[in-house]
Amino acid sequence: MVKLEGNPDHPVNRGTLCIRGQAGLQGPYNPDRLRGAMQRRDASGALRPVKWEEAEKFLVERLTGLVKQGKGKRIVVVSQLESGSLGRLLDAWAGALGAERMNYEPFNYEAIRHASRTVFGRDAIPHYAIEEANVLLSFGADFLETWLSPVEHARAFTRMHALKHGKAGTFIHLEPRLSLTAANADEWVQNAPGTEELLALAILRVILDEGLQAPGVDIALLRAAASKVDLQSTARQSGVSGEAIKHIARTFAKAKPGLAIGGGVAGTSAFAVETQVAIHLLNYAAGNVGRTVRFGPDSAFGKAAPYVGAQLLTQRMANGEVDILLLIHANPLFALPAAGGMAEALKKVPLVVSFSDQPDETTQRAHLVLPDLHALESWGDFSPREGVIGLMQPTMAPVFDSRSAGDVLLSVGRQVLGTPEGKGPLRWPAFQAYLKDQWRGIAREYSPATPFDQFWEESLRRGGAWKEIGVVPVQARSAPVQGKPATVEGDPQGLTLLVYPSHRFYDGRGANKPWLQEAPDTMTQVTWDSWVEVPAEVAKKLGLRQGDLVKVASPHGAIELPAYISESLHAGAVAIPIGQGHTAYGRYAKDRGANPLALLPAPGPAGLPFLSVKVSLTKTGGRRPLAIPQATADQDNRELARHVTLPTARELELRGAAPEKASHPSMYPDPKYPEYRWGMTIDIDSCIGCQACVIACKAENNVPVVGKEQVAYGRDMHWLRIERWQEGPAGHPETLFLPMLCQHCEVAPCEPVCPVFASYHTNEGLNAQIYNRCIGTRYCNNNCPYHVRRFNWWDYGSPTSSSHAFPDPLHLQLNPDVTVRQLGVMEKCTMCIQRIIAAKDHARDEGRLVRDGDLETACQQTCPTQAIVFGNLKDPSSRVAKSSRSPRGYHVLEELGTRPAITYLKKVTREHGKA
Amino acid sequence: MNQHPTRSSAVRQPTYADVNRDVIRTLWAPSPTYFGWMSVVGLILTAGILAWTWQIYIGMGAAGKRTPQNWAMYITSFVFWIGIGHAGTLISAILYLFRARWRTSIFRGAEAMTVFAVMTAGLFPLIHAGRMWFAYWLLPYPNQRYLWPNFRSPLVWDVFAISTYLTISVVFFFVGLMPDIAAVRDASTGWKKRIYGAFALGWEGTDRQWRHYRRAYGLLASLATPLVLSVHSVVSWDFAMALVPGWHSTLFAPFFVNGAIFSGFAMVLILIIPMRRLFNLYPYITDRHLDAMGKLTLVTSLILTYFYVCEAFTAWYSGEHFERASLFWKATQNYAWAFWLQYFCNSLAPLVLFSRRARTHTPTLYVVSILVLIGMWFERFNIIVPGLGHDFYPYTWGIYYPTVTDTLIVIGSFAWFFILFLGFIKVMPSVSIVEVKETLPHPVKAGHH
Amino acid sequence: MAASRILGIFAHVDTTVKAIRDLRAEGVRDFTVYSPVPVEEIEAAVEEGRPVSPVRLFTLIGGLTGTLTGFALTIWSSLKWGLVTGGKPVVSIPPFVIIAFELTILLGGLSSLLAILVLGKLPSIRRSTTYDPRFTVDRFGIAVTCPAERAEAVRRCLREAGAEEVRQ
Repeated sequence: MVKLEGNPDHPVNRGTLCIRGQAGLQGPYNPDRLRGAMQRRDASGALRPVKWEEAEKFLVERLTGLVKQGKGKRIVVVSQLESGSLGRLLDAWAGALGAERMNYEPFNYEAIRHASRTVFGRDAIPHYAIEEANVLLSFGADFLETWLSPVEHARAFTRMHALKHGKAGTFIHLEPRLSLTAANADEWVQNAPGTEELLALAILRVILDEGLQAPGVDIALLRAAASKVDLQSTARQSGVSGEAIKHIARTFAKAKPGLAIGGGVAGTSAFAVETQVAIHLLNYAAGNVGRTVRFGPDSAFGKAAPYVGAQLLTQRMANGEVDILLLIHANPLFALPAAGGMAEALKKVPLVVSFSDQPDETTQRAHLVLPDLHALESWGDFSPREGVIGLMQPTMAPVFDSRSAGDVLLSVGRQVLGTPEGKGPLRWPAFQAYLKDQWRGIAREYSPATPFDQFWEESLRRGGAWKEIGVVPVQARSAPVQGKPATVEGDPQGLTLLVYPSHRFYDGRGANKPWLQEAPDTMTQVTWDSWVEVPAEVAKKLGLRQGDLVKVASPHGAIELPAYISESLHAGAVAIPIGQGHTAYGRYAKDRGANPLALLPAPGPAGLPFLSVKVSLTKTGGRRPLAIPQATADQDNRELARHVTLPTARELELRGAAPEKASHPSMYPDPKYPEYRWGMTIDIDSCIGCQACVIACKAENNVPVVGKEQVAYGRDMHWLRIERWQEGPAGHPETLFLPMLCQHCEVAPCEPVCPVFASYHTNEGLNAQIYNRCIGTRYCNNNCPYHVRRFNWWDYGSPTSSSHAFPDPLHLQLNPDVTVRQLGVMEKCTMCIQRIIAAKDHARDEGRLVRDGDLETACQQTCPTQAIVFGNLKDPSSRVAKSSRSPRGYHVLEELGTRPAITYLKKVTREHGKA
Repeated sequence: MNQHPTRSSAVRQPTYADVNRDVIRTLWAPSPTYFGWMSVVGLILTAGILAWTWQIYIGMGAAGKRTPQNWAMYITSFVFWIGIGHAGTLISAILYLFRARWRTSIFRGAEAMTVFAVMTAGLFPLIHAGRMWFAYWLLPYPNQRYLWPNFRSPLVWDVFAISTYLTISVVFFFVGLMPDIAAVRDASTGWKKRIYGAFALGWEGTDRQWRHYRRAYGLLASLATPLVLSVHSVVSWDFAMALVPGWHSTLFAPFFVNGAIFSGFAMVLILIIPMRRLFNLYPYITDRHLDAMGKLTLVTSLILTYFYVCEAFTAWYSGEHFERASLFWKATQNYAWAFWLQYFCNSLAPLVLFSRRARTHTPTLYVVSILVLIGMWFERFNIIVPGLGHDFYPYTWGIYYPTVTDTLIVIGSFAWFFILFLGFIKVMPSVSIVEVKETLPHPVKAGHH
Repeated sequence: MAASRILGIFAHVDTTVKAIRDLRAEGVRDFTVYSPVPVEEIEAAVEEGRPVSPVRLFTLIGGLTGTLTGFALTIWSSLKWGLVTGGKPVVSIPPFVIIAFELTILLGGLSSLLAILVLGKLPSIRRSTTYDPRFTVDRFGIAVTCPAERAEAVRRCLREAGAEEVRQ
């Protein structure tokens, strides 16, 4: 396996992947992945390799002992949310043995589910049709980062938001912090932490007061809820002006349809459920329910167990009521707040069995480790929402001596029950057979007319089965709301702690993947570490500089992190991303940063309270500079990333104005391109800064990972980087994302300075770099105004080197079509020349030229918003040629006369100052 | 003979035999002090060689370079050393053509300095290259794959300019030495006689030899003169041909040539002042020589200051945002100390040379010369490191920090230069026997001249 | 033995010049003058009637060869390789001028060295029989090759001009 790409037919991703999906390959090929079954023979001893047969035998004996005594309830099976056959198998297995079964997911959005039940009487998380909305109003939902289904949302967001035929949707986002999602908003409204419910109700009140509600809604119900707040006190408490609230209310109500969503940190306060209730009411009032808020195609997250279950389990364990704990892809020691007492409770369990294939914190404490196959090595299915089931078959041989958890459980279960293969509740010889059996039921539901064998073949080929799910109509029934800011415990003088999921590491699962560690967090551009985001005013008061270590203390614990000084964070808050701070989990994750869950209280009835404490900051005096590759977010008036206002963009589009490219007279004749001139356009209006392309490029092109020190010293090797530029007031900037890669200039400054022709121009318009000709003068990179060339300062490629970037078995991921570069040579984006060559070969076999759409570069392929278009500029009908003629097109630093082959399309900005 | 009265003119005018004796005397039996210096310099050189070895083994990352400073101290030192060489050629070739007779007693040392400085400079492109083991790819040699260098690249111009410069300097140096080596040969015995004999190529000083020698020497001087001007122009084009703000300037060729000569004069002073003392060469290197050198240093300093003003003025007057931002950043931000140090050393300190007393007061001359060397090294540093640090693209702006490895290599290059020079003064006549004699009155019987 | 070699050693320039003039007056043409430094007067006396040194011809030919080599190498190899860099023509004359210039100097300089060696009959392993080590210090010498019957006249001529020493 060389690279992961989405299934173009899949209704959720349409072939694209997020940053974490792109990095998925570093799971099976992780050098710290567990290589076989392991057992702890005595309590104090270490985990030692054990034969699979012995391990299974041991587990069977212990399980049988309990089951025979009728103490099956003392066995607990815990998994992450498994929405497919494995989940059902676990249920069946637990049922057969009389064991307890639960799943838990760190981010389970259960507040939405509770609110849906309360308001609409439906225990589900609806599908949010963002693409249909004219105005998207988000209460802290980081839907472009982690919330529910970010890839799908990103695509939908571009569809609703991009200027098309003179129309463009508006996105208003309320959040105390300028998150990646907030940075993509047309209007980012900064509110005081925990005032989302208040604001939602105030907006509702304006809608009602001004009679903007949709016809036929239950006004009495709405008014009862809305009357809990008044505009003035809301404005005071939230810091959002009454005018702004009115403006939002009017924009939202008149959208027809609009869409209000809530999540992120806002969705996890003490009043999380009430916040979601208020948001549901907003959608209801504006007539969005059934249009953009769709019950029916519900999200799989609605099936995750409530957090309170995890807390109950912890208590049972602590009380010694659990004898055997089976963990299937669950790492509760890391993913639950320490205050919940899981670490202590775990000690009381005599036998902890982990099926994890990574040495995570919980697995390190397990007595028996039975590493599961990676999803790419095994059969599996997954249903992200109703009506969509993905089907996976093994795509690679197991890297190590791992076994499918399904296989092991079936075999162990049968042995415990004493039933032979083919009989009893666990009769299937292997998980594959179980899965196929499950799909018989799916076949009946999805395609009753097709014979099963045909359906199965087709589903395998298609990668799953999908169908339209009708929208279930719902009515608002009750509206229990609070109407006051969320309660936060701790020192009232302290700062509200915002703990938010990282778009790179999610709940921490990504932290062992070096690609994710090295990809900069787009908004801070920090790599390899975690940080505490401190408002500039607070930093000034404490005398903090960026990189100073800060002790963050809450009533539940304290951690130490380097400070990241933020001009834009709400002055009453500090923010820490989740995902780092592992104490185990392999070399890339261990002892890096700190886990902010240590500061949080135990989960309550509303789920994991990410917004629930106030913290105090103390400067420790130590320093740990952050590795930030971007020197400054200020463009210094160089107009690298450009924007136009919406009215101007509309006018340009209507007039079809030619791009305002400066003409650069040259003494030389224009170059000739016999067949192709490869080129690219990047629409920075669509770029959301998700970094998926960055990892796709790393995977495709064998780009080495260099480590924190080297990144900090300007030696990162990314061929493609996402730059974050900010304009306007520092506290409330306009953010522009600019994907920067080799511009393949027609008049490339890097080429003539190379003394050995290692850099030259092909007759297809590519700026070629011949690695084995390069002698490393680095003149080209000095002369590249974009500095997109990357020099091999160290020997990343050879296994004997101390800088080797591909330790066994990561080297198995290397793309065989791409050279691993040697020490001392320059490298850079090739526009995936290996793909161009393959496409040309293919076309030649068919006796034709490469057609538009025959090939995609790795970055283009994975872009969830399809901001990148690549192709042949010589062909005037190609997508790239058309889009490069866009009136929004420009070249970065075009005044230098480099004539890049990459055209950027300006971002379209909305008017500011209303919110 | 028109001799200026100087404070040391009380020294008796030497005869031909005195010249031979005084100069050849410098070659015998080194003193313990000499060995002491040799060991110190040798140790530093060893450290430098070890550092380079480490860099080749572990990778270019051992040197503190990064994006955007893909070039740093190595190229700084390269330009510095090439520049040092220029004064030698100027003194030996250009002043020869102008018949400036005062050059005779110092040109040999200056020429040796040129050869060694170019040898030192020539190392830096190798040290600097990411894959120095393939540096020969820069040469146009026939090969199976028809791979040729890119003659459009300023680095290939460098290769040609510098290898020509080194070759011509060595030829010029050797041709000048030939009659002197013959003199040493005739004054020595045994194996030394054989070795010097071999290097003298059988020189006898016949009328025929002198006839062609003089003609060829003149031609070599006429070739070396445009060459020396071209070499630093070509070196300056390494920068001027690039796009980088602050580099892309037509000013660079004369600016670099003048700066080179300026720093070279300082280095000549640094070398001859102790040499005069060590070898008691007062009759030959007189205060008159120091005075003339001081004047030249002052003149080149003033010209350089003019170029500095031009450089800053152009950056400002161009209205170019990139140029202005780069200059402003250099002058006020992280590297401001280096920026102002350059002006102090190169423009202010040499002003004391307006005073005649300062020009003949060796400690003052020495201090000014050292300051000039520091200033000129930092001038190139300021062009390269801060220049690259704040160029077109704000994303990659950055600060370069030297490492132990590259610092040792740069210091080692000074050791390499001095060890060559120290070696030279003990094996070859460091003052030209023939040319000094030429400036003396011919021995005549009739008693008139 | 028809010819004899006679060497006169002088301490002074004027005496040496006088000897040369006298010898010429005697009709002696075949003599070699040794001097520790090049002396204008001696050269003038010796050079009378001799052609100008052909060194410059060497330099000229060397230099022109360099110019041609420079252009030929750059143009030929660029065409052979045919790669475009920076949108510039494959044969870009202005930078090639630099290469041609440097090669002009290089070959011109090397052929000047060659001229010294060839015309000066260097290197020679043995000293000529009439050479004296003092010639590199402060003595001048005139070595005359003449038929034996004229040897006495030459010796007398040298002595009268002021030779310190005259030997066979």
